[in-house]
Amino acid sequence: MSYGGTGPVVSFDNVSKHYGSLKAVDGLSLDLRKGETVALLGPNGAGKSTSLDMLLALRKPTSGTIKVFGSDPYHAVKSGQVGAMLQSGGLMPEVTVRELVTLVAGLHPRPVPVDTTLRRAGIAAIAGQRVDRLSGGQTQRVRFALAIVGECDLVVLDEPTTAMDVETRQRFWASMKEEVAEGRTLLFATHYLEEADQAADRILVINRGRLLADGTPAEIKARAGAKRLSFRLDRVDEAFLLGLPGLVSLDIRNDIVQIQSSDSDATLYALIDAGYRPREVEIGSLGLEQAFLAITAEDDRASSPVQTQEA
Amino acid sequence: MRGTMLLVRAEIIRLRRNRRYMITTLALPIVLYLAIGKSAKAVVYGVDFGAYYMVAMATFGSFSGALTGNAIRIASERKEGWIRQLRLTPLPANGYVVAKLAASMAITIPSVVIVLLLGRYYGGVHLAHGWEWIAIAAVVWLGAMIFTALAIAIGYRFQPDQVQPIAMLIYFLFLIIGGIFFPLSGVLQRIGEYTPTYQAVKIATDVIAGITVPGWLIVGMVVWLAIFSALAWASVRATAESV
Repeated sequence: MSYGGTGPVVSFDNVSKHYGSLKAVDGLSLDLRKGETVALLGPNGAGKSTSLDMLLALRKPTSGTIKVFGSDPYHAVKSGQVGAMLQSGGLMPEVTVRELVTLVAGLHPRPVPVDTTLRRAGIAAIAGQRVDRLSGGQTQRVRFALAIVGECDLVVLDEPTTAMDVETRQRFWASMKEEVAEGRTLLFATHYLEEADQAADRILVINRGRLLADGTPAEIKARAGAKRLSFRLDRVDEAFLLGLPGLVSLDIRNDIVQIQSSDSDATLYALIDAGYRPREVEIGSLGLEQAFLAITAEDDRASSPVQTQEA
Repeated sequence: MRGTMLLVRAEIIRLRRNRRYMITTLALPIVLYLAIGKSAKAVVYGVDFGAYYMVAMATFGSFSGALTGNAIRIASERKEGWIRQLRLTPLPANGYVVAKLAASMAITIPSVVIVLLLGRYYGGVHLAHGWEWIAIAAVVWLGAMIFTALAIAIGYRFQPDQVQPIAMLIYFLFLIIGGIFFPLSGVLQRIGEYTPTYQAVKIATDVIAGITVPGWLIVGMVVWLAIFSALAWASVRATAESV
């Protein structure tokens, strides 16, 4: 009963969620396609949780339409097509890990064998322990297990590796790759940008409830200005530097100039052609984290005109 | 339906493991009946004290489990996000509430049955007809539904730390002015007549006394059930976007 439709697995069409005057989500439109691993990035309060809540039928949009497998989110969740793990999700106390996983598997129309789920989530060794006596990392893995107890075509994970140590986190992504290899679609929100960089084949950056960027990790980095250029310069002419080709951002401290550029070669040549002789020139790649910060910072500046714009 | 039944089974397993719950619903009514059931030789509500106390203790166990066992648990499961987690599964939307009600009703049965058996074989309560035992058990048992509805209303509305005092206040009010610990008379009885606990006990003692049960007692219990069910429904609805 795997999803055979050709349409998007998830589609948001101009979706908004307002709490009074606060626009938690503001005209969000996006599509997720079958088999994609998509990371949802955004600072705190960007609308990630609200978007996931609406996708999972926990909240209703103020306006706009969400479709999951072509039907409304509630139907998709109740027919067992979606497996989800939220930060705000809790566990039933007073039962063992195995009892809990068995219960939730029993709720699914297409359950995965309990032992398989326990192994995939790395909790086989603690299957006999009481749920209310687990550590934070163990609890997190049990919550993950509950997201994969059914043969779901879409898996939604909200900050899945919070409270996990580095080793557990790596094992987690290894088992996740196994899951996605079966043709599932995976959407996850994360704070760890290197995780999005390594695991996702598509990244959605949202800020203030709107979609700012949508592309592969490489495209996101390029969009933010792919290179960082730094050098020392004695006579700094800020107006001239601001006019350099490819410039995305400029930072000057005394004689040290830092530039983010979408085309570092062009930027550097233009500087030299103008007669400048920069010293200690360094060119480096921009990580996803700087790219993310650049994209959201640019948006924050654009949306608050009161703030004076500093290059 | 199958999913809801699985959840009912899990809820029963949990309740049976919960020592405090088993003490208030099962152990306490039994111990109190053994200690006090044969201590007085009075006639209460038209029946022997032993028969009154049997009914009172059966009601005590049944109502205690329904309120104290559910209200705080529901509030904390809502706060911890277990209800939210269940909403992300194919369990029907009303599955959690239905399972709480069903598990609460199911686990009350042994307590009611044991206290009535004690009344019959230890307290020497004799009834003319077998159906009268069934009627008493049914009234006490169905009465638990009233407090379960109340527990859902409170548990969905308040935070766990607020639920504790609220539930305790209502609980002792209904136990004391409902005539569970001692029979009522005079002014207290005229007030107590309005409580569902009194109504359940009085219906049962009237059955034992062999007199016709006044219709207002039955109407009273139905009204309480309707009020608390409406409150429960409102509480569940009000939290639809926040659990």
